[in-house]
Amino acid sequence: MKLEDLRKIRERAEAELRLRGGAARVKIVVGMGTSGIAAGARQVLRAILDEVSRRNLRDVVVTQTGEKGLSAQEPIVEVHEPDRITIYGEVDEATARRIVVEHAVNGRPLEDHVVEMREVTR
Amino acid sequence: MIEDLAMHIADLLANSLRAEARRIEVGLRRRGGDLVLEVADDGAGIPEGELGKVCDPFYTTKPRAKIGLGLPLLVQTAEEVGGECRVESSPGQGTRVAARLPWDHPDRPPLGDLVGTLVPLIAASPGVEFRVELSDDRETWRLSTREVRERIGDVPLTHPDVLLFLERSLREGMGRVGLKEER
Repeated sequence: MKLEDLRKIRERAEAELRLRGGAARVKIVVGMGTSGIAAGARQVLRAILDEVSRRNLRDVVVTQTGEKGLSAQEPIVEVHEPDRITIYGEVDEATARRIVVEHAVNGRPLEDHVVEMREVTR
Repeated sequence: MIEDLAMHIADLLANSLRAEARRIEVGLRRRGGDLVLEVADDGAGIPEGELGKVCDPFYTTKPRAKIGLGLPLLVQTAEEVGGECRVESSPGQGTRVAARLPWDHPDRPPLGDLVGTLVPLIAASPGVEFRVELSDDRETWRLSTREVRERIGDVPLTHPDVLLFLERSLREGMGRVGLKEER
């Protein structure tokens, strides 16, 4: 792999963005503090990125954050949408993949593992 | 509890990110018969007077302690196999953790999934510049997210194609400096 390969990736990604006409639709945030990592957050983050990548989801952004103060609920995954924020707790790899497919893609939050759901008013 | 060295690295990176580091350097070096693992950052550093305590596993059990479990566990792992772990830190300047482990020691934890651990953490930390350096006695391989970002502009590192590039590059680097193991 060479750094020059990235130029082609950039051109393709920018063309996709123009086609889509805007920024990401969904942001997924994984808690990667020490308690999250000890509870399996790295596998969760990897599963989410793998699912996003395999499904070629170009309008989903994935980031990580530190401790959220909910150690007992780790690993924690947040799904940010324009009108709501959903916080999932005790997420394992299988649940992480379901969050991507059922929630990020189809817009239907899981019924299990939800710690909190907040409406966002703009 | 600690299955592999990748988990130790993830733990150290979590400490660096929590210390609000903006630059993090990760080094994995084969030096003669040793493996040297290093994580250095420009984060908040460890407060004066606390450096002596951070390797004490009981210290981290205090509620809301700002030190992660990464350090005492890594010290324990390194010492159990006849290696060592050093921590240097300056408040406001950053922290450097370096552990030396004998490569061939039968009880050395396996490397584990370094690519699957490092790449997601690097990609999902926008605003943090990572430098990864892998080397052996003959060759040095480097990856810098600054150089990657210069070429991809506003495309996020978590973009599927960029992610694939990072994974393949890191795997290639590991192969070149003898960091592949059959265990």
